[in-house]
Amino acid sequence: MEIPYNSKPRPDTGLYNGKAGIWIFLASEIMLFGGVFSAYVLLRVGADPGTWSMGLMNKWVGAFNTLILIASSATVVMAWVCLKLKDWTGFRKWKWATVVFAATFLIVKWSYEWPAKFTHYDVTFTSQAAAEKTYKAVLGEDFAERQTDEWQKRYDPKNDILSKVQLKDMPLDGHIVGYVDSQGGEHKVGSAWGISFWSHAFVWRYDRKNLQKKSDGTLQMGEDGKVVYKKGDYKDTFRDKDIAAIILMPAHGTWDSHNEGHAGSGAVRYADAKGESAAYASHDHHKTVTIQRDDISRLSSFEPAHSTFFATYYTLTGLHALHVFGGILVMLYHLLPISHRVYENDPERFTNRIEITGLFWHFVDLVWIFLFPILYLL
Amino acid sequence: MSEDHHSPEYYRGRFKKLIYSVGAILIIGTIITFAADLMGVFDNFIHAVIFALSVAVIKASAVVAVFMHLWWDIKWKTIWVTLACTFVFLVGMMWLTVGSEVDSMKPGHEDSTWNHTQEPVE
Repeated sequence: MEIPYNSKPRPDTGLYNGKAGIWIFLASEIMLFGGVFSAYVLLRVGADPGTWSMGLMNKWVGAFNTLILIASSATVVMAWVCLKLKDWTGFRKWKWATVVFAATFLIVKWSYEWPAKFTHYDVTFTSQAAAEKTYKAVLGEDFAERQTDEWQKRYDPKNDILSKVQLKDMPLDGHIVGYVDSQGGEHKVGSAWGISFWSHAFVWRYDRKNLQKKSDGTLQMGEDGKVVYKKGDYKDTFRDKDIAAIILMPAHGTWDSHNEGHAGSGAVRYADAKGESAAYASHDHHKTVTIQRDDISRLSSFEPAHSTFFATYYTLTGLHALHVFGGILVMLYHLLPISHRVYENDPERFTNRIEITGLFWHFVDLVWIFLFPILYLL
Repeated sequence: MSEDHHSPEYYRGRFKKLIYSVGAILIIGTIITFAADLMGVFDNFIHAVIFALSVAVIKASAVVAVFMHLWWDIKWKTIWVTLACTFVFLVGMMWLTVGSEVDSMKPGHEDSTWNHTQEPVE
């Protein structure tokens, strides 16, 4: 049985059925993304100062991916034009180019951008004294003048928040390069599979609010001398690995010597929490600071649970990336021999299929055109 | 599309030029937005939002008009009615969310419905 109006337009709509269908589908997609965009706006406007940490985003990676997706949008329409000109070889060339661009977008996102965030940590402190001790160890005695400006830029670049947030709640960010266990033994935490931005410290978690406290506010200790957790199933790396202190390498770009002129005069001083210089890693400017568990209020990587910003960031970019992935699968199908047979049997029908795929792909590009400024720049 | 727009000459000539033009708009728009952010052109956040979203709308319009062929296809009722309904839905949804926040900023109003305050650190 032949399905009607696959090649020729239907008289009442003026469109072949596939085209009418894809526009209705795209309308539902607009509503889907419109819903999450509107949720983003609501959460963003309602966020407290200092909680919208979008200054932590890597804008260059976002801009690179934007250009990649723009290129794919142009190549996919070129593939369709080639079919209109009965040029199968040209179609394959442009379609493969689109698949390569799309795959590059996903590789950048799923193997670099997200993992780099899952291994990048924030530490907040239990007290002002603990925060002062750590910030002094990282930036020196004059840390207050030098740290605040950089912190403001990273953690809420659009709001003046310094006067509203206490030092202990200003997260110090960096990479975990080691830890000290309860017996005082030091353990290194290196890169995974030899890839520098993939660390074995992947989505580590610690949150003091999960610990059981006594009525006087001090921590409840178990018979084994270890802290007791409140009822519930908490993923807690400090418990699992018996961590008494972490060794943190403060992040590039904000805390290291590249920002000397920016952050203040003189070299950035690094030392451990006791005030002694600690060169843990091989590079000279990669110095570390040791932070005791009791001084840590919360340790979180830039995972969805980190903050409302990152929760919405992963929701939006994850949903978009799934669309990119689906588009790649469909485009690969169009490059299989079976698709060539469809083209030989009915070129117009196949060309219409490619137009429909292209419409979907342009929509994916459209969503990113708005996601990039909203998530990375504004 | 009219019959003229189906001819091989059209696709080989004018339409390819249109594709390159839209590609240029997209690249230039991205670079301008990114450069404005890096250089800190806008001190005022609202101005930055208006600028960035205006550029995004121009880029999106070019993609929709040419790459998605809406410049030629919008005449079909199936498409424009569908898009019009979607637009109304979107505006309504944004009105409810953004509008509620705007209302809460007016004198005498207090927004207690959506409170995203962090839990106090003990």
